[in-house]
Amino acid sequence: MQLNTTSILRSTAMLLLVAVLATGCKKDLFLYELDTVDLDLHDGDKDREKSNQEYAAILHANLFQTALSPNDLYKIDQCIQSIGDKQLAREVIISNFMNKPGVQIPTADEMNADVNAFIIATYNRFLVRNPTEAEKTWFRNKITADPNVTPELIYFSFALSEEYLFY
Amino acid sequence: MDRRNFIKRTGAAAAGLFAAPYILPSGRLFAASGAQLAEHVVFVLFAGGVRQQESVLQRYLGDSQSDPTEGNIMYNMLDGTPPPEKIVYGTGLGGISPIQPILGQTLQQQGTLFREMRAVSAGHYGGLNSLLQGNTAATQGLQQKPLNPTIFEYLRRHGGIPASKTWFVGNSLGNSVPLLNYSIHPNYGAQYGANFFAPNVTFGPAGDQYLSDAKVYHPQDQLAPIYEMKSFLDNSFEHLGSVPTSIGNTPEEKQDIKAFMSEMFTKTHNGTIAHPPVQDSGDLTTVGYACEVMKWFKPALTVVNMSGVDGCHSSFTGYLAALHRADHAVAHMWDHIQNHIPEMAGNTVIIAIPECGRNSTPNAIRDQNDWYSFDHSDSNSLRVFGMMAGANVPSNLSIGSEDNQVGIVTDVVPTIAEILGVKNEVLSAGFLEPGTQSLFDRI
Repeated sequence: MQLNTTSILRSTAMLLLVAVLATGCKKDLFLYELDTVDLDLHDGDKDREKSNQEYAAILHANLFQTALSPNDLYKIDQCIQSIGDKQLAREVIISNFMNKPGVQIPTADEMNADVNAFIIATYNRFLVRNPTEAEKTWFRNKITADPNVTPELIYFSFALSEEYLFY
Repeated sequence: MDRRNFIKRTGAAAAGLFAAPYILPSGRLFAASGAQLAEHVVFVLFAGGVRQQESVLQRYLGDSQSDPTEGNIMYNMLDGTPPPEKIVYGTGLGGISPIQPILGQTLQQQGTLFREMRAVSAGHYGGLNSLLQGNTAATQGLQQKPLNPTIFEYLRRHGGIPASKTWFVGNSLGNSVPLLNYSIHPNYGAQYGANFFAPNVTFGPAGDQYLSDAKVYHPQDQLAPIYEMKSFLDNSFEHLGSVPTSIGNTPEEKQDIKAFMSEMFTKTHNGTIAHPPVQDSGDLTTVGYACEVMKWFKPALTVVNMSGVDGCHSSFTGYLAALHRADHAVAHMWDHIQNHIPEMAGNTVIIAIPECGRNSTPNAIRDQNDWYSFDHSDSNSLRVFGMMAGANVPSNLSIGSEDNQVGIVTDVVPTIAEILGVKNEVLSAGFLEPGTQSLFDRI
């Protein structure tokens, strides 16, 4: 009988414990989420000027999707040094690249099929950042308003821009 | 319109008519006040460290190799007979065939020779800087842009001369030569700089590979949109520091320079560059392209750098040959101007001054003729000559002597400024070495 009473009390205590655990306070669960935000600064915070060789290497990669040899980079560096007007030197080098086979430029039809995508891809390719809404609008208007503006000319202007000289 | 308004507007219009013709490409309102002595100057940086003993003193081997043979190996520039024997400076095996003279009358006879001037630096870069800045610039470092304004910037800022009318033709990319076309002075700088070519590179194998096949874009239909889009991108670039400043060629000038480059590649391939009769050195081919620059652009100032004689560090024989060729190069340029560039003939002054001299005592290196070589570091390195000839330069005049030094190399800056009409502006700018004055004022 003694055993039964003890057994009953123990069972009751276990039941009470289970009941307390089952019905105790439940901590609220908060789930935090973030909207997708572009954390890049407007101009990518570029403050270091590319050397002639860096410029040529990146330009060739952007236009041909292939790398130049160190010997070729050295020779292009010499060419840029040998001309006093550096912007003119870069123009001539870009013009030479544009005249060579293998340069990777979208066609005008591909550009016009999705102008926004072309603008974003061009900013990503050359300036390694996304365009602002204002920049997208300006280029969209330029492309639609001026039939002379081809992807090649746009690539040329990006390769010639001051921002492209920095990283 | 009432009477008062009529008078006011008429007066404004009249003032505009008077002022408008004087608004120059540089933005300067009025042209330089000084009268020009000539419309063009060719300044030769001659030619890598030249000893007085082998140049103006004509001692050949007599003051260097314990050999009594003397004579003049610069017989286009200087009066005097060549050495009678031991000829090593010409062409052919052993250099035994001297180069034939080009000029019927020496530049000494045609102009004024300053026999003994003072250089302000015994080094190349310091010397070149002193010739172009008119200043010793004691803090000037190697591989650093000039600290004080160069003659190019003075001319462009104070004379309103366009970029394509000032040219620096360098013989190489070494010795920081490409840095010399403008200074980093805040009141002057790149926007007043000169155009520069190192033609042996620009039009050499490297240039042929990466510059010669430039695609030609239509100026209005294609280049204009490119520049417009570039301008938009540049305006959007929020860069905190300074971006490289261009030397200020207008789009039209850029097109002209590109056309010139295309022409030079064609002429190079065809072998029709206006090279001198002998063209077996980098200095001589450089001078050929300098002639082409002058013929195409008719610059107000053309500066040509030569440096072949610096081989004297290890070869006295090579030094003699280079000095003989430097004379040949200067003569060819002068001859080319007189006979092939009518716009510059009779209207040009040529000036030649070494950036420094060389030592009085040799180093330990002997060349193939067992002759000693010479460096440049002692007081003899500060002895040089100077020469100018052409329009309004007194002819057949010799000034100074071995014992009577007249002139400093920095004098060349106000001299060029005087010839081209901006002397007062250059003197009043306040950056010249103390004591510097126009060579015309030393005559």
